Amino acid sequence: MVRPAGSGRAGGETTKQRGPREGAATRPASRGARAERLAPYVLVAPAVLIIVLLRLWPLVLGVNFSFTGDGELNGTPVGLSNYLELAADPLFHTSLRNVGLLVLLLPVAVAIPGLLATFIYLRVPGHRVYRSVYFFPAVLSPVIVGAIFNLMLGFDGPLNAALGAIGVGPVDWLGDPGISMFTVVGVHVWATFGMALVVFLAGFSTLDTSLLDAARVDGASLRQVIWHVIIPSLTRTIQFVFVTTMIGMLTSMFGLLFVMTSGGPEGSTYLPEYYIWHQQGQMNRPALASAASTVLFVVMLVVGLLQITLLRRTGRQD
Amino acid sequence: MPGRRLARWVAAVPMAALALATIYPLVFTANVAMKTRRDYILDRFSPTDSLRWDNIAEAWTGAGMARYFANSFIVVSFAVALLLLLGSMAGFALSQLRFRGSSVIFLGCLAGLFIPFQVIMVPLTRIMADSGLVDTYPGLILAYVAQFLPFTIFLMTSHYRTIPAEIVDAARIDGNTVYGVYRRIMLPLGVPALLSVGILDTLFCWNDVLISLLMMPSPEHRTLMIGVNSLRGQYSDDIPTFASGVLIAAIPVLMLYLFLQRQIADGVTAGSTKG
Repeated sequence: MVRPAGSGRAGGETTKQRGPREGAATRPASRGARAERLAPYVLVAPAVLIIVLLRLWPLVLGVNFSFTGDGELNGTPVGLSNYLELAADPLFHTSLRNVGLLVLLLPVAVAIPGLLATFIYLRVPGHRVYRSVYFFPAVLSPVIVGAIFNLMLGFDGPLNAALGAIGVGPVDWLGDPGISMFTVVGVHVWATFGMALVVFLAGFSTLDTSLLDAARVDGASLRQVIWHVIIPSLTRTIQFVFVTTMIGMLTSMFGLLFVMTSGGPEGSTYLPEYYIWHQQGQMNRPALASAASTVLFVVMLVVGLLQITLLRRTGRQD
Repeated sequence: MPGRRLARWVAAVPMAALALATIYPLVFTANVAMKTRRDYILDRFSPTDSLRWDNIAEAWTGAGMARYFANSFIVVSFAVALLLLLGSMAGFALSQLRFRGSSVIFLGCLAGLFIPFQVIMVPLTRIMADSGLVDTYPGLILAYVAQFLPFTIFLMTSHYRTIPAEIVDAARIDGNTVYGVYRRIMLPLGVPALLSVGILDTLFCWNDVLISLLMMPSPEHRTLMIGVNSLRGQYSDDIPTFASGVLIAAIPVLMLYLFLQRQIADGVTAGSTKG
């Protein structure tokens, strides 16, 4: 594939310093050499500029912003008053409580694809088909998923019809404040478990098959194989799935909330990201929204670090 | 081992049921899209009696999906092209060239990876508004590039790390400039990774909701996903047309999936085994 690069291009600079490593020792003064020395910076400059200006700088700006006021107080420092307002806002409480719910449901959201991947790896009949079928909702936009499930979960939609057939009364999936959050999480899991499944399968492909064979020869049951062979050898993959699934739950459910519930009924499906959007766009409270953003960032950092230490510790016990 | 074989078959039943649950919602939607309004009200479950394209046509022209589709297409094409260009340039420099500050720059890109959009959306919107970029194509393109560049750089860097330094050395001895190495060696050798990252970036941008919602407030600039959502109110009493709109928005992605499933899966898993 690699043609002898630039062989036809016998320019004047053939006898330049050897190798691409910009040796600090050789310092030719010619203009070409200087251009060469600057080349790496030229290559990274646009990317660095964009990332610094539009990702890192806004983070600083946002934290700063959260200590200023909204409306008439725009730009004036107000100390912690935005944070105090958040602490008193029942809607923000709900959104944090829902984050707690997501954290509690996280093991389920990881175990389902993990178990499915195990069966696919153990060659359940039809395993080839399952992999591609399970993965496909993962490429759909939350808007499409949400729209489809608005139809599916309607009062006289397919799901209630199926439940009715086995004698379970129609459920108001999105209208009942006690149920709606679970419904949205369920739809999110439906849409994303294929992603985690594929990651698990990639982890399985690095698994040492001789271990599995040895366990089989020793007559280990399926449960023992999963518990003593598969899980310990996949700690890294499991960690990765835990962290990415958590991040996914905390940052990519906006589309579903936007299409399916708009935060309702009675604010029961609020998540911080929806709260931020609502305060910024609908209520014109950007500074308050910034404070919520900062809280979300801290929550994510804490949850992420906790997970990693927790998983490390359990990993060591094995 | 009979016990294990039995276990496999026992597992196969719920797995098949789950596969059905994965496929059915889309089949149901496609079926509804083919029905007339009357058919839908009378019986929404029965298979449609004929393939009817009126609803699709209504959604495409009447509801303005064509416009939204074009908006998405323009923005996503430019954003992905820019992402691949900037990502491969930076990935090449960060993996194969040694220069002062390279590790700090790489760490900075990684940090960008861990900042969720929700955390910076307020100040970012303000920066964009102050620069007059809100509600313009370049504004949304730039917002997408900023959002997905860290990920693109990360994957391109880890791909280019697998290319032996000797190849670059040889090209340099042959008289190539750094840019020449990038153009003649790194771009061609990067094609598999560029393809895989490009598909993922395409999916991310195409499927995005929040960024385009913030960056493109006026109706004529709506992207496809925001457009689909706006159909909801407009066609609340005409579900088949609404379902058609959903189908139109889903089809490009499903096509991509059917043909490029392998690359999508590779991209998704890249971070789990490398890095």
